[in-house]
Amino acid sequence: MADVGTLTLRIFMLVVLLIIAIGFFWQPHDPHAVDVSQSLQAPSLAHWLGTDHLGRDLASRLIVGAQSSVLAIAIVLVSSIGIGILAGAAIAIGPGSISVILRWLAETVLTIPTFVLALVLAALFGAGLMAIAAALIVVTWAPYALSLAALFDRLRAEQYWQASLAMGSGLPGAFHRHMLPNTLPVLGALAGADAGRAVILVASLGFLGLSADTGHPEWGAMIHEYRMFLFSEPRLILAPVFATTVLAFLLNRVLDRNADV
Amino acid sequence: MNLFAATRFAILPVASLGASWIAVVAVSFLLIRLVPGDPVEIFINHMNVRATDELIAAYRTEWGLDRSLFAQFAVWLQGFVTLDWGQSFVTGQAVTAELFPRAGWSAAIGLAGFASAILVGSGIGFLAALQPGGLADRLSRLFAIGGQALPAFAVGLIVLWILAAELQWIRPFSGGVVERLLLPIALVAFFSIGSISRLVRAGFIEVRSASYMRTALAKGLGRGKALWRHGRRHAAIVLLAGIAPDLAWIIGGTAVAEIVFGVPGLSERIVAAVAERDYPVLQPYIALIALWLVLGLRLTAALRRSLDPRLDLGVEVGHG
Repeated sequence: MADVGTLTLRIFMLVVLLIIAIGFFWQPHDPHAVDVSQSLQAPSLAHWLGTDHLGRDLASRLIVGAQSSVLAIAIVLVSSIGIGILAGAAIAIGPGSISVILRWLAETVLTIPTFVLALVLAALFGAGLMAIAAALIVVTWAPYALSLAALFDRLRAEQYWQASLAMGSGLPGAFHRHMLPNTLPVLGALAGADAGRAVILVASLGFLGLSADTGHPEWGAMIHEYRMFLFSEPRLILAPVFATTVLAFLLNRVLDRNADV
Repeated sequence: MNLFAATRFAILPVASLGASWIAVVAVSFLLIRLVPGDPVEIFINHMNVRATDELIAAYRTEWGLDRSLFAQFAVWLQGFVTLDWGQSFVTGQAVTAELFPRAGWSAAIGLAGFASAILVGSGIGFLAALQPGGLADRLSRLFAIGGQALPAFAVGLIVLWILAAELQWIRPFSGGVVERLLLPIALVAFFSIGSISRLVRAGFIEVRSASYMRTALAKGLGRGKALWRHGRRHAAIVLLAGIAPDLAWIIGGTAVAEIVFGVPGLSERIVAAVAERDYPVLQPYIALIALWLVLGLRLTAALRRSLDPRLDLGVEVGHG
């Protein structure tokens, strides 16, 4: 049963990724085309999800709206995994004082509320993707660093690691060859949760009306823009709400290899 | 009590707590000052007055911006402690007058949400440990997955839509007590119940195999009674060790809940302040959040130590 569930999730994820990828080149309609005569159309063959109060095609806006989230995920994952691997290695292999300081830093930043930090950074540097990404990176590198440090510590006792050093390979070479491949399962589990958090945070700030570029559709910003239609035209709100929820949920579940908490 | 003991138990923790708080606040103060954009010019632009050099100089002197950073921080800190939080750039009103009436709503939602999450989460966690794989265990896993993978504002909006539009049980934004307190509290709690119940479950599970549990069962105590009597202290210790992310969540969760349900709490004002870069409003908010986090972390650490004196001896107790 569990395998069928996992397979379904993966297929779902693949379909969602495919739609997002295609959305970079093609949308059913121009997501910016305002046509007031077509406003608030119900879903039809021409407009799969109907149109909004300005007559813009909801499905097209939804597809393009994924791009901010994808960009945020990419920035956050690349930076936090990069920093996390370096810091984790420094904690495990580095000199004692650096190791202690880094470990303390990692444990401290874990207690920072990401959402509030993103608010503060948005106030300082202007609302936008950069504030969101920075807020996430400040916090997300820490779990990578701590769990990788624990992993590296364990691997250091392995014979192949000691043998590789004894045979004279340099530290960076041995690290690349013997330690990095072992980190993949740990990275996968953390990366899924972080990608999900990135999607949620981007949408949350957009929902507060703090999204970067009001001209470009983004799921949170769409919910903010359509908020007065929650009772008259709920599909305008529910579509981006479900899109955010589904993407965040899939990212969390598909990448998490030890999904059973 | 001799002087040494008094220092160790009363003065030192308070001093180090104060030091952590001041460190956080100083960093945020410095960050705000380092950002491009002169607050005086922002303020004058908001008032739609032409910014002459004299006007700028007058405001700089009045706000103390012509002094050194250190002196500015000292002045701000003194003001914060004596509840003189300055004026909003945008509205010109005293920040205390704007924030105090709102703080009550936020505190009520945050604290009640936290308390109910601990109560419900501990209950589910205990039942889950009593019967692993049972109904409570599956429920706790569901809460944990939902709490991590679902966006809080989306859940709030869907609840609002179902209750107000589909079932028509509540009138939206009417300011009723259900909407202003019950729903926000439930939303904040929902996202913490999962992680709390998993921690509590892990704590009780570790005790299940302990030898004193076998003794208790052999003496004829029922399973539930024995687990509760002998496991609750350990479960509490495990919970306290892992509660930090939930302390942080309460802040963000309260903000999201207030905005979704239209509660006139702090968050609405803070979001406006973020959009307008209204630093005199943001700075005390950051200071209050830092106070909550520092206090919360210190308190949980102190509670853990009092529940488990072995921690003071440097013996780490395993937890899941």
